[in-house]
Amino acid sequence: MKQKLRHFIFEELIFVADSTRFSDDDDLLAAGLNSISIMRLVMFIETEFNITLPDAEITVENLQTFNKLGRWIKGHQT
Amino acid sequence: MNTPKDPIIEPLNPADYLTLAMDEEIRQENMPGSLCGFVLVLDSLPDIARLTPRITEFTGQFPLALASLQQQGDRFYWCKRAQTLPIFFTHDCPDPEQTEAFQQATLLHLLNQHLPRETIAPIEFHLITGKDTALFLLRWIHPFCDAKGADLILKYLCTEDKAQREQFDRPKSKALITVQLAKYKWWEKIKLFIKAKRYITRLDRYHSIQHARLDLKPKQLNYVTHTFTAEQSKRIAQQARAHTGLGGTSLYYIGCLMRALHTLAPEQPGAAYCVPYAFNLRKQNAQAPLLGNHIGTLFAQAPKTLLTNRQALFAHLQQQTKETIRQQLDYAFLPVMWAASWLSLKKYGPELRFSHNDGSERSSVWFSDIGLAEFAERSFLGADVIGLRHLCQISSPPGIALLVCQYRQQLTLSYNFIEPLFDEAWIKQLHLLMLQELLNETN
Repeated sequence: MKQKLRHFIFEELIFVADSTRFSDDDDLLAAGLNSISIMRLVMFIETEFNITLPDAEITVENLQTFNKLGRWIKGHQT
Repeated sequence: MNTPKDPIIEPLNPADYLTLAMDEEIRQENMPGSLCGFVLVLDSLPDIARLTPRITEFTGQFPLALASLQQQGDRFYWCKRAQTLPIFFTHDCPDPEQTEAFQQATLLHLLNQHLPRETIAPIEFHLITGKDTALFLLRWIHPFCDAKGADLILKYLCTEDKAQREQFDRPKSKALITVQLAKYKWWEKIKLFIKAKRYITRLDRYHSIQHARLDLKPKQLNYVTHTFTAEQSKRIAQQARAHTGLGGTSLYYIGCLMRALHTLAPEQPGAAYCVPYAFNLRKQNAQAPLLGNHIGTLFAQAPKTLLTNRQALFAHLQQQTKETIRQQLDYAFLPVMWAASWLSLKKYGPELRFSHNDGSERSSVWFSDIGLAEFAERSFLGADVIGLRHLCQISSPPGIALLVCQYRQQLTLSYNFIEPLFDEAWIKQLHLLMLQELLNETN
């Protein structure tokens, strides 16, 4: 799951010089995840993992790192 | 004009045609074309001894900065000039006591200069001196670069390390509209194209509200800028998060603007506000591509009936954007832009921007959220940046634009408007209402 997220975020949304050095606990928001890219990411997750993410849960706490994203997604997978 | 035949450096990219068509429209109104300005307000003069060679180095690394935009056949190209033009100018304030008036007048003069498209330098740098402040203006014609590109050029000028400056525009890529379109098979492009046409038809169900005095002829661009304190900016960011969530900051500004416009003139004819906003095709933090336009378009539209209910309006705008992205309607505009780049400049606007129902401009107002200005952490070649201003020539209608930017935790709003279709008093009233909306102090 994290590999898919990493691929999408670094291919489509954020430029980092060396993505292999970006850890699962590094701050995605500080790295440049902005308004539209957050919307794109949520849409990607919903489609890719076949889940629905409530708007109220689109928060810093759920989006800040790959680890937090992973936990958020798992919480919605049956 | 179709006579010059200078050597071609490179063709315009498809997204540049959108701004070129706008340039032509603005010129048809006897205005100067699509001139844009990014202004740094400095607390002192920057180090000229470092700035001058850096601008020269910039033109060496990016020869397009000295090119001439010319039509050859049906297409447009950046062409090499026979003679190099100067692109860095200093305007000395003759009377220090008149600094503010001099700087304002010089800025407006530079942004309202009528110059033929083929002869104007695509980008110029102007230093306007004064008693306690100096303005550094980056003026460019829109086909040359977009707002992010202008931010990157300023960042280039601020970068002290030569090796780091050489990394700008790396890795070299094609125009991002072309890169994005290459991801789709030909039938997927056609599907997207059809989707976009349906999207436009849906938008055109409503007649867009316009506020410009269309019985008057455009005379000149003017602007009003407001910078919020860090504390106010923080409160606005909190309000934006509360109303439109983490992913909808731009929508918060747009919704507030719609409500402010409606409060100012609730009886204005039209059924809905329609606000286009460009999104960047570059990845966030990417330093490439530097030049050219790399944008797609989204529309925020809200019918009049929703404008009085703050919560309902923001929920509507948020849902609309979500649906747009879910259905890939944002990318759907790219094949339309590509196809339209083969149209004549005269036909481009009517095909892309004008309502199919009544032929009027679809956009109630131009809007751009430039986001976080990245160009300098501390200073601009030794001078502290104490303010920002953004200017852009705009077609009329709508004759009004709101440009939003953040720098060092401070939010700046630049209202651009065409006089006499709008006047400064009207814009100031609009801004007072906008303040209340942004800070959620409407009750």
